[in-house]
Amino acid sequence: MMKAQTPRSVTRTLAPTPFHDRLAELNFLNSWRGWNGFLSAEVFECSEKEYFAIRNQATLMDISPMCKYRICGPDATRIVNRLIVRDIRKVKVGRVAYAMWCDEEGMTIDDGTIFRLGEDEYLLLCAKHMYLWLHECAWGFDAAITDETEALCALSLQGPTAFSVLKAAGLEGAASMKPFDTREIEPGLRISRTGYTGDLGYELFTAPENAHSLWDRLWSAGRQWGICPTGMEALNLARLETGFLAPGVDFQPVHLALRRGRGRTPFELGFGRLVDFDKGHFNGRRALLEHKARGPRYHLVRLDIEGKEPAANAYVYHNGSKVVGHVTSAAWSPTAKRNIAFAELEAPYGGAVRDGLFAEIFIYKEGAWLKRNKKAKVVDEPFYRNARARQTPPNAF
Amino acid sequence: MAGEGSKFDVVIIGAGHNGLAAAATLGKKGKRVLVLERSGAIGGLATSYEISDGLPISRHAHLAYNLNPTVIAELGLSGKLSMRPLATIMLSDDARHVEIDGETIRFADGSAHPDGEAYKEIRNRIKKFAGLLAPLALRSPPDPGGGLSLAGAGEAMPLAALALKLRLMGKKDMRDFLRIVLSNIYDLALDDLPDGPLAGNLAADAVWGAWAGPRSPGTVFSLMYRYGCGGAPLLPQGGMGAVAGAFAAAARQAGAEIRTGVSARRVLIANDAVTGIETDKGEKISAGAVMSSAGAVQSMMLAGAEHFDVEAVRRIRNVRSKGMTAKVNILLKRAPDIPGLSKEQMAGRLIAAPTAIYVERAFTQAKYGEMPAAPIIEAVIPTLADGGDRHAVSAIVHYIPRNLKGGWDDAARARLTGLTIDTLARYWPDLRDNVERVDAFSPADIENETAAPGGHWHHAELSIDQLLTVRPVNQLSRYAFAVRGFYLCGASAHPGGDVSGAAGRNSALQLLNDGVLA
Ligand SMILES: Cc1cc2nc3c(=O)[nH]c(=O)nc-3n(C[C@H](O)[C@H](O)[C@H](O)COP(=O)(O)OP(=O)(O)OC[C@H]3O[C@@H](n4cnc5c(N)ncnc54)[C@H](O)[C@@H]3O)c2cc1C
Repeated sequence: MMKAQTPRSVTRTLAPTPFHDRLAELNFLNSWRGWNGFLSAEVFECSEKEYFAIRNQATLMDISPMCKYRICGPDATRIVNRLIVRDIRKVKVGRVAYAMWCDEEGMTIDDGTIFRLGEDEYLLLCAKHMYLWLHECAWGFDAAITDETEALCALSLQGPTAFSVLKAAGLEGAASMKPFDTREIEPGLRISRTGYTGDLGYELFTAPENAHSLWDRLWSAGRQWGICPTGMEALNLARLETGFLAPGVDFQPVHLALRRGRGRTPFELGFGRLVDFDKGHFNGRRALLEHKARGPRYHLVRLDIEGKEPAANAYVYHNGSKVVGHVTSAAWSPTAKRNIAFAELEAPYGGAVRDGLFAEIFIYKEGAWLKRNKKAKVVDEPFYRNARARQTPPNAF
Repeated sequence: MAGEGSKFDVVIIGAGHNGLAAAATLGKKGKRVLVLERSGAIGGLATSYEISDGLPISRHAHLAYNLNPTVIAELGLSGKLSMRPLATIMLSDDARHVEIDGETIRFADGSAHPDGEAYKEIRNRIKKFAGLLAPLALRSPPDPGGGLSLAGAGEAMPLAALALKLRLMGKKDMRDFLRIVLSNIYDLALDDLPDGPLAGNLAADAVWGAWAGPRSPGTVFSLMYRYGCGGAPLLPQGGMGAVAGAFAAAARQAGAEIRTGVSARRVLIANDAVTGIETDKGEKISAGAVMSSAGAVQSMMLAGAEHFDVEAVRRIRNVRSKGMTAKVNILLKRAPDIPGLSKEQMAGRLIAAPTAIYVERAFTQAKYGEMPAAPIIEAVIPTLADGGDRHAVSAIVHYIPRNLKGGWDDAARARLTGLTIDTLARYWPDLRDNVERVDAFSPADIENETAAPGGHWHHAELSIDQLLTVRPVNQLSRYAFAVRGFYLCGASAHPGGDVSGAAGRNSALQLLNDGVLA
């Protein structure tokens, strides 16, 4: 006889980060999304408010779900240089570098930032899980690779008053830090002058047991400087204005692609200047040399589109008839007052051919879809740039 | 070296017969070649030594069945090789041995074998297909990245030609080929044969050197590989060392210099191109290209893993090369006496593999790291044909795992010796007290002596996943080994091992073709 069995369900939940209690108190919309298996706030109250706080006040965002790997040992520099396309030897201790890395075919796996903590010690921050890949890179080399994603929690403090908040919190030592500097500002508290917003900003790293005290310290110091929690939605607009790519949105990380031909080289993503062919072999170097010689197949470009309707998911046409690409990210930029987008175009469009481009925008109005063909202009500079973001020591606001 | 200027165009690592074939091929094209060999003698897995005064015997490889006729012709070796064809004797413990001599299949006593025709039908079918595949062994594998370019189409020619030939065979044969090429020899043989010595013959000849049993997929292909040049076993006079000696003579005649007792320590590289080599003695020798007949991993490490893409390193370090074959040479006190065999028959190729299931059982034990209860053996008594009164047995003992549980030591080697004698004594009882001395070489010994990875016959398992465009690994199958001017030229490269010369010769031609030395 069969015994009745209660089906056992598998509970799959997103893990709270060490800051979760603090975030939850502030998340009036109770709006969360998953990020690398963690609960991450989408919006706290109003994403416009959060966005304007990034540009005008100070904001605090929990970036603990970022993947964090420590690479430490005699061959650490060789491993990092084997991984990434730029030359890490040119990055001094105490500095942070933006980096991309590729597979053997020169296709971008991911991008991220690398903190040079010491001669032979690095911290790699990136969006996707890279633990196995780092081990593959390190085969035959002498260094320890540890996944510190959960051992370190992190907050991003961004906005024109970010330094004032630090100062009020007793961290005025950060005054002398230039963009991309990093240091251990207090025992157990690392800070870097980095961020994803294009504004003045810092990122702070500490052990999970210090999470609440760090949050409280910055939060109370930030009161007088208009501190505001931000979620992913506001950040996404800020990063687009500044010209930061979102992996999985603006390009397909090649390890997560099943179809052939979906990978893109750093040249095609507009980051050819990062590729340093003179530093010795690195992963994908030979393939990238060939790609460089042959020229890019695609151009990921910034578009300034006429009108105000965001061109999300739009096809891009040349001379009204030929589809030459598509928009990957789009928004109305409240600060630049321009209708901006990233778009991937097939070469030569976006490269040698930059005129005659149109975005086909669909707008939903009162129960009907309207189609608008809007002129799109390729622009080279970021849509948003602010001198205060680079000034050292930073101004109070 | 600074100031000296390059004395050599190419340095070749390893004076196995493939390194020597590469050297001779390049020398004939006017290239200045230096061959470095770590051991004191040339030949690698193809050497001879004296088991007793004036009695040479093959140390490892002992029969030539896959020497490539094109290589022989190109290097002018035919007059320099003295080899005797051998009949194959499938030993049976009831002394009803079976003799296979070309198209003649019979019991050793001369009586007809009832399954002779069925056996020939299977064997000749496989031989026919092997003949179609044979031209592939002399070409670099097609470039999978060649795409649709004209050059790419040229690369695919050998495959296109193969496809055409298959079609010309007719629908029935083509279907048959496609049906069996990836299948296992056990099923194929036993479809048409009762299990016995003839099935045992097909099973054994499909697996020598392999980490595979007759029931493993791909063993029909490995039999085709063995039959690629006809498959008739030839016994080289003076042992296999004489064959390597002929390759060495051809290399020297073509102007190559061969230095023994010198190991390559490091391949020197600048700007992603080979500049020369550093020896274990610290000497730096500059050259425009370096070819390596060491295994794939070993070659990679000579250049340094940092010069290989991460994916390539992963593939290379996962190349399967678990040795399964031992060599046992036995000096006899007196002339052998095997019941049921004439003196001529005793001089043949004696195989202990009485049934296909026997072969499979031996593999089953060996694959778990155990010494099998009964291994398969290919033995020859080369001295019988020479007419002297001193005799020795050269025995390849298969399914002796490199990764033996408990590891290889003197006691394990003594077990190997005992097992070999016990196995042969089933058919040859008199052997037990006819043994004067035994030299047993475990796969670990072979690895130590020759640096062959895992002591493996082919340096890298010759299986479907390590063939043609994926030998030794995907993306690196055309001899060029990541760094400009660095080439693989040994058994781990296409088409694989055996004393054949194809890998070395092909690699040399590919190097010339790539224009690296220009
Ligand atoms: C036990 C056994 C029995 C076999 N029997 C047969 C047989 O009967 N018939 C047959 O056709 N095949 C047989 N084979 C297979 C055949 O012997 C090999 O496939 C073939 O000889 C390989 O030739 P090669 O030149 O590619 O490599 P090898 O013969 O292994 O030569 C490689 C050479 O490179 C040298 N080397 C390695 N590293 C360095 C370095 N860093 N510096 C300098 N030199 C280096 C090694 O010392 C070696 O001499 C047998 C194999 C084994 C293991």
